[in-house]
Amino acid sequence: MIAVLALLAGVVLGVWLDPSVPAALQPYLPIAVVAALDAVFGGVRAKLDRIFDDKQFVVSFISNVLVAALIVYLGDQLGVGGQLSTGVVVVLGVRIFGNVAAIRRHLFRA
Amino acid sequence: MSTDPAGRERPTRTYAPDFLTELFRNPLEPGYAAAAQRRRVDPPSRVRARSAQTVTVVVLVVLGFLLAVAYRQTMEDEPGRSQARSGLVTQIKERERETDELSARADRLREEVGRQRDAALSGSAAARLRDLEAGTGMGRVRGDGVVVRLADASGDADAVTGAGAGPPRVLYSDLQGVANALWSAGAEAISINGQRLTATSTIRSAGEAILVDFRPVTGPYEVSAIGPGSMKRRFEKSRNADLMREVAEKTGLSFGVREADDLTLPAAPEPQLRYAEPPGSPSASPSGDRSASPGSTGSGTSPSPSGGGR
Repeated sequence: MIAVLALLAGVVLGVWLDPSVPAALQPYLPIAVVAALDAVFGGVRAKLDRIFDDKQFVVSFISNVLVAALIVYLGDQLGVGGQLSTGVVVVLGVRIFGNVAAIRRHLFRA
Repeated sequence: MSTDPAGRERPTRTYAPDFLTELFRNPLEPGYAAAAQRRRVDPPSRVRARSAQTVTVVVLVVLGFLLAVAYRQTMEDEPGRSQARSGLVTQIKERERETDELSARADRLREEVGRQRDAALSGSAAARLRDLEAGTGMGRVRGDGVVVRLADASGDADAVTGAGAGPPRVLYSDLQGVANALWSAGAEAISINGQRLTATSTIRSAGEAILVDFRPVTGPYEVSAIGPGSMKRRFEKSRNADLMREVAEKTGLSFGVREADDLTLPAAPEPQLRYAEPPGSPSASPSGDRSASPGSTGSGTSPSPSGGGR
């Protein structure tokens, strides 16, 4: 409950403040969002598994976002930014799928 | 994950594993399980749990913030793209209008030149020039003739999905055929949608558009021709007219020929002048700039100044 409220508060804050993203950070934003979503679905799944751990969640969130950004940055420097971004999205996408499948099983027993 | 967390003696439910589950059957974040294990062994203090929870809440706020920012960013990028597109469209429209204005001005100036010339020349020479101009398409002409109207078939096909190849359209070759048939039927002057044809005019297609002398024309197409009274009859007996009638019948294009009195055909735009130069003049450049246009005498050493540009 608190988590959902916090999420909503963040959204409201983002809409209200309407910050402009520096041009240098713009390529990392979508990847960061996908990485964050991965951490969130992992957390939700852990919650439903009743093994949720705050520290684990925070660390996985931050490291996911940072590592994803780092990989994209490295890719940009090596000239394979697009392909590496695709790779990151695919891996994270598969992980999200796996977690959502687990969540689905918890919620719908199917 | 298929083990009951309470560990009761219940036959574990088996789920038909889909591909992705199969791929990642092992826990995705072993850290959670490890942390749970640790907690069971050594429960953390209340203060620590509280602070950890606070951090989680902060992270979730940050996440919501991130989502909102990313969403807004994506939304902001989108109008940028369509703006660039519509900006280009506006520029094209503007340039087209400018071109129209300039060519209208050129026409006016040319008429002015013609008047001045008529005033300067003796009567018979001026009359001869006017006849030549009328014949070559350089001057505006009036007279009776026929108007051939061609139009694309009305579109039954879905314009959005583009099912099929769209409705049958008038092709540039149709316009070419009609123009040629009119010439051979005795037309003295022809214009397509107000574009006067000359001896050097082109009727071409570029993608879906039809270009007459490199100016796009759009349907319905009206080919107006001035000529003798027998022209309509002769045109309708021509092979091209037969062909077009048949095409119209089969595809639903519209094709019509009617006589029209007192047509006015405009002068053709800017004539492309090409000069022949006498060979063997001492300082003449060895061919190559045969198509220099008047006014733009790039090399000042041109042997004969193109007198008057006509």
